Amino acid sequence: MALEIVVMVKQVPDSQEVVIDPVTMNLNRSLTRNVTNKADENALEAALQLRDEVGGHVTVVSMGPPQAESTMIECLARGADRAILVSDRFFGGADTYPTGLTVASAISKLEKVDVIFAGEESSDSSTGHVGPGVAEFLGMEQATYVSSVKYADGFIIAERELEDGTEVIKMPTPVLLTILLNANVPRRQTLKRKIAATKQGYEVWNLEKLGMPPEWVGVRGSPTIVRKMRPIKEKERAAKRFEIDQIPDLVRELFEIGALKLEEMQ
Amino acid sequence: MSDFDFIVVGAGPAGSSAAIRLATAGSSVLLVERADPPGSKAVSGGILWGRDLDGLIPDWEKSAPVERYIDFKSTSFLTRDSKISIDFRSKKFEEKKTGYSVLRAKLDQFLALKAKAAGATLVTGITVDSLARKENRIVGVVQDGDTITSDAVILAEGANPRVAIESGLREPLRDRDCAIGIKQIVKLSEATVNERFNLTGNSGYAGEFALGYLEGGVRAGGFLYTNKDSLSIGVVIAMENLRANGSTYSYDIMEKFMEHPYVKPLVEGGRVQEYSAHLVPEGGIDSMPKLFGDGYLIAGDSASMTFSNGMIIQGMNYAIASGAMAADSLLEAAKKKDFSGAALSSYQDRLEHSQVLMDLRKFRGIDKVTWSRLVHEVAPGMMENILFSMFYEDGNPKKHLAEIILGSLSKANMKRSELIMETYRMLRRM
Ligand SMILES: Cc1cc2nc3c(=O)[nH]c(=O)nc-3n(C[C@H](O)[C@H](O)[C@H](O)COP(=O)(O)OP(=O)(O)OC[C@H]3O[C@@H](n4cnc5c(N)ncnc54)[C@H](O)[C@@H]3O)c2cc1C
Repeated sequence: MALEIVVMVKQVPDSQEVVIDPVTMNLNRSLTRNVTNKADENALEAALQLRDEVGGHVTVVSMGPPQAESTMIECLARGADRAILVSDRFFGGADTYPTGLTVASAISKLEKVDVIFAGEESSDSSTGHVGPGVAEFLGMEQATYVSSVKYADGFIIAERELEDGTEVIKMPTPVLLTILLNANVPRRQTLKRKIAATKQGYEVWNLEKLGMPPEWVGVRGSPTIVRKMRPIKEKERAAKRFEIDQIPDLVRELFEIGALKLEEMQ
Repeated sequence: MSDFDFIVVGAGPAGSSAAIRLATAGSSVLLVERADPPGSKAVSGGILWGRDLDGLIPDWEKSAPVERYIDFKSTSFLTRDSKISIDFRSKKFEEKKTGYSVLRAKLDQFLALKAKAAGATLVTGITVDSLARKENRIVGVVQDGDTITSDAVILAEGANPRVAIESGLREPLRDRDCAIGIKQIVKLSEATVNERFNLTGNSGYAGEFALGYLEGGVRAGGFLYTNKDSLSIGVVIAMENLRANGSTYSYDIMEKFMEHPYVKPLVEGGRVQEYSAHLVPEGGIDSMPKLFGDGYLIAGDSASMTFSNGMIIQGMNYAIASGAMAADSLLEAAKKKDFSGAALSSYQDRLEHSQVLMDLRKFRGIDKVTWSRLVHEVAPGMMENILFSMFYEDGNPKKHLAEIILGSLSKANMKRSELIMETYRMLRRM
């Protein structure tokens, strides 16, 4: 049986280059490069592997501004069959609630969905809300922190990496899975595939296409209010070298500067 | 049937200009760029001199991401304690704009998107591995084992033309043909930039510096350009100097430049936004490869089309001009469907009749002057001595200028005959 697979992806500022504007406290995006969220690349790879094994189609869905074009082309070049960019100025300023709702609304427009893949979280906000949110909005079962996925006779068998071990679960489709960062090695994009992707192009879906009320999306649909942001000052650190036999001096010094305190032993 | 009429490797100023011209003429063009987006790996101090974009993008001055037009040009000699400058400011530049400061991250993207808008297929984030050949003709490019074919290829890879070298289309770079350029973008407010450089509106400052206070015979030039609300500051160091002194050395030179008593106040309080290093081809006409052959042309830095005199670097303008001329030659060849080396030799003719090769021929050997001991060591110290003697009132009887000059000459430890020879060489080559 062929699986209809959806992958949720997001374009994020390259985390290695992110600069916070000290005046406005916002991300300075003017000079930062935008890249595909790393965990989403792992989600896409997991989806492509599943498709290649079982057969079917992979559709990439992303909500974002027009410049997410490069992410759409990249996903097609890595092997996705179809890419949809959900984009409209009404969607701007959304927190995780309307983002999940909007993406879920787009996915619900697809004819059939068996498995949805998402990255565990995005590197620019790190909430991990959106994937599970979409599952809830669509009334779908979900599994988070998944590292590997198999399919057999209407069931997904997934391994979840947990703090105290690995859990293997079996769930009937449809199901949403969030994939761990570095769960796999994403396949390369090649020039040939990228030319084909550029020629194929991607779809852009706006608010009208989704048919959602404007007050449900973007800033207006966002319950979160950020009251204040402050930068974290870097603590000044000192480096000093002590030999083993000087440890008493070290302890004394730490005590004198107030870094160590004496407490009554219980 | 080829996949594309033409493939352009590299979306720097040379490659994008070629692609704009080709796509505008209706050819199918593939423009491949390693960086994503284009320009995110580019390093350039950033004055776009000249008007070479006129022929490619009508009204580019209104739409291109230019920062400031230059109306304040300055050449300075620095010693440890002093700065001797020749400043040229002119209202004439307001009417006739000769150069703009640009940020490559923005400019390269702008040009690549122009090529795309004109109909080129732009693919970013992909590095071309090598060229495809058929009976010694270049018939396309190879990437990850796939061959993409075209009638001809323009190589516009920049200063480190790996594909051209590995395909045997040009010699590997020799140290003496290279300098290394290091640049920082330092963020300041627009008002601070205006105040520190005495600028108004959109006018800008472009300064070059001979660093006459470096030890151990190291020769380096510095540059400092104003963007709208940032500065591009950097140094250019002869590669041979660097090899001899180890790799962390370039950083020290950058530090020494930025810590100079008359440079420091200009950059103080700014936040470093970008730090990068890049090769600069300095060999001029003598290190230029054969520019064309069966099925290929080489443009821009890949063909060593850079004019540098140790202080000023011009390359973007030649890159744009040569890219456009490479495109014109291909369009001409396409009429007869002949892409042999003989047919593509019209590229050489075009260049010979343009500023590109005329400049590079005229200034052949300029590197010997600009990296000379005279410019980088002797002149700054001598000038400092002369000016100091002229302006320092110590209550002693004044001396004639000639006396002062001769005095400082002997201090500079340079023979009179040597000075005359060096000066003659300099004047002849400049
Ligand atoms: C510090 C510094 C300061 C400078 N200041 C100035 C200045 O003020 N004014 C001026 O006019 N010039 C200046 N230059 C010179 C100028 O930057 C170059 O002359 C100019 O960029 C040349 O353009 P190009 O298109 O030939 O090469 P590049 O701008 O280097 O572009 C080549 C492009 O090809 C891509 N590429 C390379 N190999 C491949 C491959 N195999 N596959 C796909 N893509 C590939 C690269 O990523 C790059 O984007 C400066 C240079 C330096 C280093």
